[in-house]
Amino acid sequence: MNEILQYTVQGLAAGSFYALAALGLAIIFGVLGVVNFAHGACYMLGAVTAAVLLDLVGMNFWVALLVVPVLMFVFGVLLERLLVSRLTALDPLYNFLLTFGLSLLLVDLVKRQYGVSGLPYTRPEILTGQLSVGDVRLPTYQVFVLVFSLLVCLGVWLLMTRTRIGMIVRASTEKSELTRALGVDVSRWVTPVFGFGIALAGLAGVLAAPFRAITADMGSSFIIILFAVVVIGGLGSIVGAVVAGFLVGLVEAFGQAYAPTLSQIVIFVLMAVVILIRPAGLFGREENA
Amino acid sequence: MSSKRLVATAVVSSAALLLSACGSGGPGGGDGEFTDGKVTLAVLNDQSGVYKDLSGPNSVKAVEMAVADFQEKYGDDAVVEEVEVVSADHQNKPDIANTKAQELYDREGADIILDVPTSSAALAVATQAAEQQKLYINIGAGTTELTNGQCNKYTFHWAYDTYQLAQTTGTAIAEAGGTDWQIIYPDYAFGQDMDKSFTAAVEGAGGTVGDHIATPFPNDNFTTFLTKAASAEPDVIGAMQAGGDLINLVKQYNEGGYADDGIDLAVGLMFITDIHSLGVEAFEGVQFAEAWYWNLDEENRAWADRFLDETGTRPSFAHAANYSAALQYLEAVQAEGTDDADTVVGHLEGKEIDDVFLKNGKVRAEDHRVIHDVYLAKVKSPDAVEEEWDYEEIVSTIPAEDAFMPLEDSSCSMG
Amino acid sequence: MSAPTQTTARGAAASSPDAAPRGFLGRSTRRWLLLAAGLVLALVLPWVIYPPVAMDIAAWALFAVALDLLLGYAGLLSFGHAAFWGGSAYVAGLTAVHWGLPFPLAVLVGAVFAMALAWPIGMLSVRRSGIYFAMVTLAFAQMLFFVVNQWRGLTGGENGLQGVPAGFFGVEAVEREAFWFYYAALPMIIGGMWLAWRVVHSPFGRVLVATRDNPARARALGYDVDRYRVMVFVISAGLAGVAGGLFAISHGFVSLQEVAWQTSGKVVLITVLGGIGTLWGAIVGAVVIVILEDQLASSGFDGIGIITGSVFIIVVLLFRRGVWGTVADAVARRTGRRPADEAVGAADGEDGR
Repeated sequence: MNEILQYTVQGLAAGSFYALAALGLAIIFGVLGVVNFAHGACYMLGAVTAAVLLDLVGMNFWVALLVVPVLMFVFGVLLERLLVSRLTALDPLYNFLLTFGLSLLLVDLVKRQYGVSGLPYTRPEILTGQLSVGDVRLPTYQVFVLVFSLLVCLGVWLLMTRTRIGMIVRASTEKSELTRALGVDVSRWVTPVFGFGIALAGLAGVLAAPFRAITADMGSSFIIILFAVVVIGGLGSIVGAVVAGFLVGLVEAFGQAYAPTLSQIVIFVLMAVVILIRPAGLFGREENA
Repeated sequence: MSSKRLVATAVVSSAALLLSACGSGGPGGGDGEFTDGKVTLAVLNDQSGVYKDLSGPNSVKAVEMAVADFQEKYGDDAVVEEVEVVSADHQNKPDIANTKAQELYDREGADIILDVPTSSAALAVATQAAEQQKLYINIGAGTTELTNGQCNKYTFHWAYDTYQLAQTTGTAIAEAGGTDWQIIYPDYAFGQDMDKSFTAAVEGAGGTVGDHIATPFPNDNFTTFLTKAASAEPDVIGAMQAGGDLINLVKQYNEGGYADDGIDLAVGLMFITDIHSLGVEAFEGVQFAEAWYWNLDEENRAWADRFLDETGTRPSFAHAANYSAALQYLEAVQAEGTDDADTVVGHLEGKEIDDVFLKNGKVRAEDHRVIHDVYLAKVKSPDAVEEEWDYEEIVSTIPAEDAFMPLEDSSCSMG
Repeated sequence: MSAPTQTTARGAAASSPDAAPRGFLGRSTRRWLLLAAGLVLALVLPWVIYPPVAMDIAAWALFAVALDLLLGYAGLLSFGHAAFWGGSAYVAGLTAVHWGLPFPLAVLVGAVFAMALAWPIGMLSVRRSGIYFAMVTLAFAQMLFFVVNQWRGLTGGENGLQGVPAGFFGVEAVEREAFWFYYAALPMIIGGMWLAWRVVHSPFGRVLVATRDNPARARALGYDVDRYRVMVFVISAGLAGVAGGLFAISHGFVSLQEVAWQTSGKVVLITVLGGIGTLWGAIVGAVVIVILEDQLASSGFDGIGIITGSVFIIVVLLFRRGVWGTVADAVARRTGRRPADEAVGAADGEDGR
């Protein structure tokens, strides 16, 4: 029983990274119609930036948690203005290809600049060790990641449902043609939304820094799982991205615990089943094509 | 305007095409003892990927040091005047390694290829060596296949392998009282080998291995596995991950505070470059097998100082091993007065060697496994570090005879 | 997800040959000249560049043509084609190792396996088009990667499947020398390309283009769009399988690299760089990328991704027609003819969301 609780928390903690990053992916897709292949690279950049800032100016984890997403937001805004916006009028596949090229570029730039063996990161003292709840012991950091990302997801949800900007974003994500038809000017929000999505990936990266290896390649397999996550959740759905993120984390954890050799395949089997039963994803709407 | 730029690229690429055609005039059938009148050593390794720091461009430097030492030692008495060092980057891709090896042997006149990390790439190069009947000395890859099922006359295995890693760490720790083990291994060929070898080593030394926990590869979340392993309250968790996965695991082991529960972490495969990039704090107290350590004694240190002057960094075992392999190859060429592959192979077989890398070294004739003393190392605590790269404390030395797979267990037949 | 009128990445020149009036002498003469030039290039390739590299170029060219068939003419971007290239490589390798089949047969067995694999993957994947299709195929290919990696007894895991013989009915020259192997393999490469060309220029191909440009209309006309898509997916996988099998056998081993997602990425890169929907472009792309990688391996420059990534970004931003499409336009302009598909280029700008 204890073990089950432990695996649940661990699965949800692993899912937090997917949920945050997938949320960013979903929002960007919603407003721009772009699937950002470089999202994994942005997750990596978040972690690398945190490590570099720690090394250069001694910026600690808590400050990095605030500063890095802001930097990533700026990076995202530049990216959108300089590159992505030139292709948004075309078929979305072009931006998919563009961001694919971008991820190749970013990964190798980081490799050349910061080496291949990974960067060190000092974890905050307060988050080390384990929390004991009765007989159950849970690594403190995992609990923190879980709580923190749940709060962020909640915050984003409030932003989406309680503010005008959020309403516009959500409307254009979930009913894009209708929103346009009603004459809402979505274009003003395109750039900041892209930046915001990138910032979320960066935030997931900062959260990963004390906990995972910080290497140029850390985003390469992450992005593929992320694609499975959004396919499962339904690309057009913000709630779907978050729920599927946590779900995939859980599937991964229990798969690892009870069928380790199959654990990587299980996620893709889940994806296949979802496509078979609900092609649009658990929370997506049916395609009209 | 736009089309012009592309035409330009096309011209450049066709120029490259022509260049490669011109530059590749085959080796002239040089007369006498030396094909094309010189000896060419080729370093084929990963100069851009995960093994770049471990070996990479600095191994090329190390081989150049060996050439310089050879030329200094023999001066005018050297049997061959011109010794050339060439290198290529296989980017950790076996198909590129394969093509490049072929090209190095037949177009660049390479007499020997050195290094080649990544076992699939190393095995492909070994096949090329056998086909082209030229030497290949492996340093970077750890697969025991090279001296077992897929051994051949022209391939030597110089530095370390999975069997030796297990023998070193497993036996030494079990004998020191860490008898109750849990093993976490990545579920692919390397990890499965390591799991088997470690289990044999630990059990051979009177220990027991509880669970063998397979993990996906690559993987960034090991917490579930650690929880599972720790729940059995073992003395030691043996982690067989490498590279980025190892760092993930070590970080999560630290987060979990398992060291405070008295559960030690032993690592199957770790390099000094891992410690350097992550910092000693992250690895403090971790025990692992080391094939060579720069700060072990005066001889090593003196060489490491020279290496530092050349490259600006301290050498890993792979750098020293590349140096040693190149030097011993040249010594063999000098002794025989020829670069004829069969003659040099004959010279090396059974040879006992002592140099900066090989202590009590011997080239086994039967399977071409080069055996030598290896070490169990422990990562120092941050306070004990006296200078940069001074990260390891050598806990014990495992004599050459005990460290490697006994001949009778090898399935190699040179045929 | 996308409006029905929206076209997917378009095969610029795709429909144009057929749009041009038949029997227009200049055009058909040029086509024959081009074909002759291509054949000559294919025949002299191992004389000008190192034969194993020439073989790599040929294999990647066919692989890219296979992808272009799908991307350029059906508008489906597969980001998981490594599954078919690599799946076939393993099966071809295994049959050559265990049954000692001569290589052309082993490659065919591999290609059949790739098609059998493509059937269910295609059935599932075509349920979504556009970006979804790319992500889903990528995920399926990753699944195969894990299976191959785990199934060590069969595949050799990360050591790869070593010692694959290139049996060719006892002809020593072909079995041992890359130079002659190239010529023995060339008919399969050219045969594969010819098949792709036939598909494009058949009624089936025209329906494909219709499903790409306007799936709703094609459906309304009574075509089973999904069925067409699955069929072209399977054909494309078969061609990728031929390429992958030849690649593996020419190297004498198969490694995990062949089923890794980076391989899927590389073939997309080659196709887009060369020019989507041109077939010829795929070949040009393969020549450029394979030679570039080969040269960089000996150059001491350690950031291949920096070059390929930047070139790719520039191509996507500025030369969406790829090398082939751009050059073809320039030639057309110089000879005073209307560039083949200005109309398509203009439409590109209009079909935004």
